Amino acid sequence: MGTYIFKRLISIIPVFLLATFLTTGMIHLSPVDPAEAYLAAAHIQPTDEILEQKRHEFGLDQPFLIQYVNSIMKICQLDFGISYVSNKPVLDEVTLRLPATFQLALGSIVIAVLVSIPLGFLAGVKKNSVIDHFSRILSFLGASIPSFWLGYLFIFFFSVKLDLFPVEGIGTWQHLVLPSVTLALPLIAIYTRLLRASVLENLQQPYVLFARTRGINEKTIMAKHVLRIAISPMITGLGMNLGKLLTGTIIVEAVFSWPGFGRYFIEAIFNRDIPVIQCYVLIAASLFILSNLLVDLIQMYIDPRISRKEGQQQ
Amino acid sequence: MYNGRNSRKIISITAFILLLSMVLLGCTNATNGSAPKSDEDNMLKIAWPRDVGEMNPHIYNPSQLFAQSMVYEPLVSYQEGGELKPHLAESWEISEDGKVYTFHLRQDVKFSDGTSFTAEIVKKNFDTILKNVEIHSWLGFISKVGRTDVIDENTFKLTLTEPYYPTIQELAVVRPVRFLGEAGFPEDGDTSKGVVEPIGTGPWVLEEYKADEYAIFKRNENYWGELPKEEKIQVKVIPDAETRVLAFEKGELDLIYGEGVISLDAFKQLESTGDYETSISEPVATRQLVINSTKEQLSDERVRQALHYGFNKEALVEGITSGYEEKADYILPTNLPYTKGNDAKVIDYDVEKAKSLLDEAGWTLPKGKTVREKDGQTLEVELMYDSAESIQKTMAETLQAEWGAIGVKLNIVGVELTEQIQRFKDNKFDINFFSNYGAPYDPHTFLNIVLSKGFGFNEAISAYPNKDELMKQIAEVPKTTDEEKRQQLYSSILTSIQDQGAIIPISYVKKTAIYQKDVTNFTFPANRDEHPFTGISIEQ
Repeated sequence: MGTYIFKRLISIIPVFLLATFLTTGMIHLSPVDPAEAYLAAAHIQPTDEILEQKRHEFGLDQPFLIQYVNSIMKICQLDFGISYVSNKPVLDEVTLRLPATFQLALGSIVIAVLVSIPLGFLAGVKKNSVIDHFSRILSFLGASIPSFWLGYLFIFFFSVKLDLFPVEGIGTWQHLVLPSVTLALPLIAIYTRLLRASVLENLQQPYVLFARTRGINEKTIMAKHVLRIAISPMITGLGMNLGKLLTGTIIVEAVFSWPGFGRYFIEAIFNRDIPVIQCYVLIAASLFILSNLLVDLIQMYIDPRISRKEGQQQ
Repeated sequence: MYNGRNSRKIISITAFILLLSMVLLGCTNATNGSAPKSDEDNMLKIAWPRDVGEMNPHIYNPSQLFAQSMVYEPLVSYQEGGELKPHLAESWEISEDGKVYTFHLRQDVKFSDGTSFTAEIVKKNFDTILKNVEIHSWLGFISKVGRTDVIDENTFKLTLTEPYYPTIQELAVVRPVRFLGEAGFPEDGDTSKGVVEPIGTGPWVLEEYKADEYAIFKRNENYWGELPKEEKIQVKVIPDAETRVLAFEKGELDLIYGEGVISLDAFKQLESTGDYETSISEPVATRQLVINSTKEQLSDERVRQALHYGFNKEALVEGITSGYEEKADYILPTNLPYTKGNDAKVIDYDVEKAKSLLDEAGWTLPKGKTVREKDGQTLEVELMYDSAESIQKTMAETLQAEWGAIGVKLNIVGVELTEQIQRFKDNKFDINFFSNYGAPYDPHTFLNIVLSKGFGFNEAISAYPNKDELMKQIAEVPKTTDEEKRQQLYSSILTSIQDQGAIIPISYVKKTAIYQKDVTNFTFPANRDEHPFTGISIEQ
């Protein structure tokens, strides 16, 4: 187990190298010079002297490979450089904004789990019932409405018309409700359907019949056997979506003026703030890796057969 | 067995949850997260797309100009019609050779921390700026400053290496030539890396700040001028334009103002409700089309003129901006200094004239074809626009149709703003949208970029037969100490540039403001970058 985790953690390194390479490379391929972009954003008329000075300051006057190696060396020391725009260390800027993004992501996961587990389970158990139809409609809406549009609709109805929640900002739990629900709905759509399918599949399994013949209470069969096993694909889905969720906050953060990392990243793209873009890509990449690892570990805990398989492979 | 017995239970649980949610939601109505009313009294709430940034008078991005102008003040202020009025400097003298500027400072000015505003601190600020001369060299006079001297406590002298008339006008800009108090300077005196505290002489003081969330400014009780009526101003950071509108509709904002901060559709819709007050500013800039005369098809003046005659400017502006922008006859708004003498020919929509000009230039329409040709080449050009700007996009589409009707094939290409700037600079465009800098930068800054190579304009007008003469005149303007001659030069330059058709004025850009009915005395500042909060108040 320990070796397995260690191996998985080590695999982050090549991903890091590749991500840094790609971001540095993409910036070189972009037709826009970051120094120019900086000046445009600052409303400064770009004279040759300022451009030269900025390029030198940003290290952009060096060859691509040197820039690449330099970024790797710095990242190894957890130094993500200085933001071109704010002149402050990127790591400070990011750590200032990450908690808000995590809060939003966590809020939406909690809502997604709380809604999709009972809904998906009941939809599976009571196939073609009212609740199944309801879950189908909800999933359809969740999967098809774009987040930003949903955000505006929520603000319009629940904030402007009904005056139940604030339009924008952060601070109280009321602020968290609309953005979390907006972010949670597409997840609910996926998980509800996943769980429903899985429950239906499991209900056909011999172990259910066996349990029934043993005279075990139906509720116990459902809760302790079916749900426990059926939930496994949903956890995989959840883990795969964890990284996506953090990157998915971008639009929701912009719509609800949520002062998170995603919004900061959008501005960085427009300003060609390379150190910030690089830091974002690396954090997103490691979140994908770590969340997948976490899911695997939870899977092993829930279904010991997986852990045995891993053991055999080793 | 499972189904029958539990369905009732599920229904009752669901009903309970629904009931509980209603109760909870009912509670939220009373306390929806905003500050209690007493805190909000006498506080004007506005929204801005970006964080106000560090309140440092000497740096640029990410600091927002309007916020910097709330805290820091200039020696000279830019007023209506381009008038330059005393501000922190009570008066000034300019030597005959146009090189020495002596400023007599106001004596009753205090910084927000109570310290006095003196010639010593003016010099300290200037010297700090001059330490980073490269970054500020875009502002013409900065690179021409030879020395700075304190004559006495209230007299400051600025000596230039060569005469440069726009010096006074440039002193009115928001950054970098405004003044930080002594206690705001870091130990090494270099403010380019940050300030210790934002201490200015302006009417507002930064009281509370949360990055990416909001900034609250309170009235500076030490202010030398008329005290603002409102005690506080809260600037909420709302990056999304639609959200700003919704927050305004809900009453979470008192005012939304600026250029393009909300869409014109939203503005029109809010205005039509009759529930709010609206205001539109004087022209702040001209939306122009820059035609690259180095491109073969566009090198002939007759083709450029044909394009100008070939679209209904009035209908275009009215239709796309709902009349919120105004049809422009001149390449710079005429409320800027020295722009009134522009005698350029006003061109009105005339399709027949456009067609005959193209015929004259040799571009004829072969039978059965829709695009004109000359020597086997088609009259096909490309217009580049900022894909994020809906007005540019719609204008581009309209021009495509209008010019198509006179036999010109227009390909339109939407690019990101930064790429648009880059391609313009690299001279990789046929036709591009541009808008000038506005007050207090123009007209001299606009002419300066026409003069300098590598900004797109100099290259774009390459086919002008009198280009060399024009460049000579443009270079001469800032050195001219004679007011009358200066006006003459400006008139002749602006007229000549416009008449040869490489720059086509489309519309005058204006700022919009929408505010709740209880907000009174809102006026737009003459300086494009200044804050509009002087005199504004909320009726109780």
